[in-house]
Amino acid sequence: MTRLRFAALAAVAACLTVRAGGQDADEAVEKAVKAAAARVAPSVVMIQTAGGLETVAQKDKSGKVSGFVGRGTGPTTGVVVGADGYVITSSFNFANRPSDIFVTVPGKDREVAEVVGTDQSRMLTLLKVKTTGLAVPAAAPKAEVKIGQTAIALGRALDPTPTSAPGVSVGVVSAKNRLYGRAIQADAKFSPANYGGPLVALDGRVLGVIVPASPQGEGETAGFEWYDSGVGFVVPFEDVLAKLPALKDKKDGKETVLRRGLLGINPDPKVAPYAAPPVVGAVQPDSAAARAGVQVGDTIVKADGKAVPHFSALQHLLGPLYEGDAVKLTVRRDGKEVELPPAKLLGDSPAYVNAFLGVLPVRGDNTPGVAVRYVYPKSGAEAVGLKEGDRILHVQKTGDKAPTPVGNRAALAAVLRQLAPGAELAVGVKRKDGDKLETLKAKVGTVPDFIPEKLPPAVAPKEVPKDKAAALARRVGFVAAVQDDPFAPKKTDKKAETGLLERADPTTGRQHWVYVPATYDAAVPHGLLLWLHPAGAGGPRDAENMIKTFRPFCEATHTILVGPKAGEAEGWLPSEADAVVQDVNRVMSEYTIDKARVVAHGLGRGGQMAYYLGFQARDVFRGVAAVGAPLGSPPRDNVATQPLQFFVAAGGRDPELKDIEAGKAQLDAQRFPVSYRLMKDAGREYLDGPTFAEFQNWLDALDRL
Amino acid sequence: MTPVKRLTALAAAALVGLAPADLLARPLPQVCETVNSKLVKLFGAGGFARLNNFGAGIVVSPDGHILTVANSLIDTPNLVVHLPDGRRLKAEVMVVEPELDAALLRIVLDGKKAGEPTGLDLAFYDIPAEAKRPPAAPGTTAIGFTNQFEIALRDEALTAQKGVVAAYAKLTGKLGAFDFPYKGDVYLTDAITNNPGAAGGALTDRTGNLLGVVGRELKNTQTNTFMNYAIPVGAAVDVTVKENDKEKTVRVSLPDFVTRGMKGEYRPTKRERPTAGEGGWAGIVFVPNVLARTPAYVEAVLPGSPAEKAKLQPDDLVSFVDGEPVGSITAFEEYLRTRTRPGGTIRLEVRRGGSLQPVELTLAAPPARVVVVPPPKK
Repeated sequence: MTRLRFAALAAVAACLTVRAGGQDADEAVEKAVKAAAARVAPSVVMIQTAGGLETVAQKDKSGKVSGFVGRGTGPTTGVVVGADGYVITSSFNFANRPSDIFVTVPGKDREVAEVVGTDQSRMLTLLKVKTTGLAVPAAAPKAEVKIGQTAIALGRALDPTPTSAPGVSVGVVSAKNRLYGRAIQADAKFSPANYGGPLVALDGRVLGVIVPASPQGEGETAGFEWYDSGVGFVVPFEDVLAKLPALKDKKDGKETVLRRGLLGINPDPKVAPYAAPPVVGAVQPDSAAARAGVQVGDTIVKADGKAVPHFSALQHLLGPLYEGDAVKLTVRRDGKEVELPPAKLLGDSPAYVNAFLGVLPVRGDNTPGVAVRYVYPKSGAEAVGLKEGDRILHVQKTGDKAPTPVGNRAALAAVLRQLAPGAELAVGVKRKDGDKLETLKAKVGTVPDFIPEKLPPAVAPKEVPKDKAAALARRVGFVAAVQDDPFAPKKTDKKAETGLLERADPTTGRQHWVYVPATYDAAVPHGLLLWLHPAGAGGPRDAENMIKTFRPFCEATHTILVGPKAGEAEGWLPSEADAVVQDVNRVMSEYTIDKARVVAHGLGRGGQMAYYLGFQARDVFRGVAAVGAPLGSPPRDNVATQPLQFFVAAGGRDPELKDIEAGKAQLDAQRFPVSYRLMKDAGREYLDGPTFAEFQNWLDALDRL
Repeated sequence: MTPVKRLTALAAAALVGLAPADLLARPLPQVCETVNSKLVKLFGAGGFARLNNFGAGIVVSPDGHILTVANSLIDTPNLVVHLPDGRRLKAEVMVVEPELDAALLRIVLDGKKAGEPTGLDLAFYDIPAEAKRPPAAPGTTAIGFTNQFEIALRDEALTAQKGVVAAYAKLTGKLGAFDFPYKGDVYLTDAITNNPGAAGGALTDRTGNLLGVVGRELKNTQTNTFMNYAIPVGAAVDVTVKENDKEKTVRVSLPDFVTRGMKGEYRPTKRERPTAGEGGWAGIVFVPNVLARTPAYVEAVLPGSPAEKAKLQPDDLVSFVDGEPVGSITAFEEYLRTRTRPGGTIRLEVRRGGSLQPVELTLAAPPARVVVVPPPKK
């Protein structure tokens, strides 16, 4: 290298150093940002609407309305995706259901646009205008997107002149593969100012289309509350273009609707979502999973040939799929890997409805099978002539090759979970009198509002002798002759305290009392009734009253009362839920508690807390009994593996009667079993005599199947 | 030219282009220091919900004139200024211009009369000079300097936030339920600058040039979101005023406000508000206005009306008026009442079938007695 050449290079290098550092690096970025924005600008269109609603409903994860969002009246943004007049945008922009939509392509006249289709999985809407010859921007391939790369959000909402430069916000790509594989996350400011607009890379290729989305919500307005937060999402442009043919495919002049594909299983809640491959806890009747032959107890090990290390991984694999897409599952069943036929995903899943046979089992029964304590009138069980004292030994669903032995209540419940009301179930029964095994074809129905007036004793007066039980077990092929009731693992390690026990948490000072009836017997599963006092009550006086009221019931039906005290005189706060559940768990660890009969019960504010707890701690509570309490937030889904029944009571003169009944209707709509009792002449007060009697029997019959 | 010679030439050209040295490299830290030296913290009235008793101001003369936002902060005789060097001085309001949402203050030294030279010799922004630059385009680096959340006192630096100019456009904001008085263009940024107490701060470009005065906390009526905006240093709006019983349009601008304000010659503008009933009349009968946003569908046109002359037809949807979208019947009627006069012309775009038709309408005065015509039966 000559000296001259070296000097020249050094000089250039020196300049570059200066240029790269300080202000001139900023200048370079600024120029690059403007250039990238200018490249895509001709494809960024302005959308205007007329008519529609003032505010739009916001929905939570379960699709229930949780609030309202005021929609601005200004223009919004879209991106050209087809030279022949196709424009994609965020469905948020039409959440107020406008009657007319107008699109202005930069440099062209404003024109009327029609909705071609909506992608409900990605929250996108495809529009069509008549103008052709539009510029479609290039997509940045997903595989090339890097976390940390500059990302420029463009929008047309701020400046109403469609020919001027689009509005700009600059950030970086924060993450990929968000929202179960459906979105790229970026920290540029996303808001109605650019929803529907493109997120652009520095090279002028489009990373994605900006949508308001959040992992917590569903629907077109979900995620709006996160606007300008620096946490925002785009649907990868590559995915948008790939789905375009399906979205354009308007059939019979009707707008296309693409829906998320649903498999229709609930994971077994006992398997942690990140720890181990998911075990199927429930299969929704007639769902994609049911049609493909997925069974309760299957462990899903592969989906479309990819390993499924945990439930969350399965959600990521299924998240991007649409209705009609097929997924091939491999499950482990009885120690063998079974490859199932492709499951064609469905677009909707009707609310889960609990199937009801119509029997109340005897509790604390260590003999194989389920002894019938009571048969519900007008139920499937009654129709086929099941009687008190009969013992159900096995059941067989339609399509099953062999009957399933029913060792106990839990086993029968597990089979019923897989049935839809109306389905047929062959029930193998040993009659009370006689030794014969009969098979009855029962039709399962739905759980009634009806509460029996009188119930036979809950616990079998006398256990079946061991040798007779063993013989019975052999006949129906049980492996273990005598089984513990998984609903109520027995506590035998210590002599349990009875009577009124007052307790205080040494660290927090929180108080709760427990009442254990003197008849407590660790061999008998006990119900747990959590009493949530109304505002201003609580403490020892409250305990005394409750015990006076409930003592005979507690003794007769084996029920333990637990009464925590609210931290504030004004009543319960949602933040106290964890502490209350802790109190309940402590009692459950000390006494033999029937997991099928753990109920949150409250009056007024306490009733609202009961609703809240019921939905918050679904692994604990099987019943909620709310008196004079509106249902605060909308109910969650009815889930097969975590059933929840409701007893709702209200006074005819309760000022909030309307709200209480509206809440009851919401529970009905979610297909929860609800018993509703109106006390005509009451205001907001505790249950009157007849209603209280019914309530006790509701509590006692919570383990009905 | 040999490759070597070409390289040398390029290098030399580059070097010449980059001189002088201080212009060549003024990194952001240095820019921030310079900008901070021209800004003050303000403390005044307020202190309760959403009314902050703290803010910032921009020094606009060496003698201690300060430009800030005309908010409730300045409604007090006990205005206090903290200078960048930490000195704590008194100030008073000289003049306020609601049309620009701007206020001009001056520092009053103890023992000196208001208006006497202070001899402070402060670093300052020359507003008329700053206003000469063309507006910064979207994508331009923008840095906000504010006292949001009262984080700075005395000689502490204001909060600097870097973002970009998101847009330079008309402000369509609401202050609670009321329309915001400033109707001109604003800078909108993607940095979250407009938090409590941010008003009166500075928005600059990456070299410290003043872009505008950071505004209040306002909700954008177009998007229903809070916006981060600054009133540009060259802000100008045309306002209709009444002078000797005659209406005329005057141009109100920030440089003029500051220049004449400092001399004590500026008078606030008194906008002539259109009174109800003075708007133009089109003679359109719309469908019954029953929804919150009933689309402006034409039900009938009155005989002899401007609408009939312009050949508007039943079932036409009035979609845009003078380029602005017509969201509802109410919005259209509001536009006619407040933005038009009899004899004026409006340009409509109506949706007829699947296309938009331009229609021009010369408005008339409303008939003395409105004849109620029943809509034609279909």
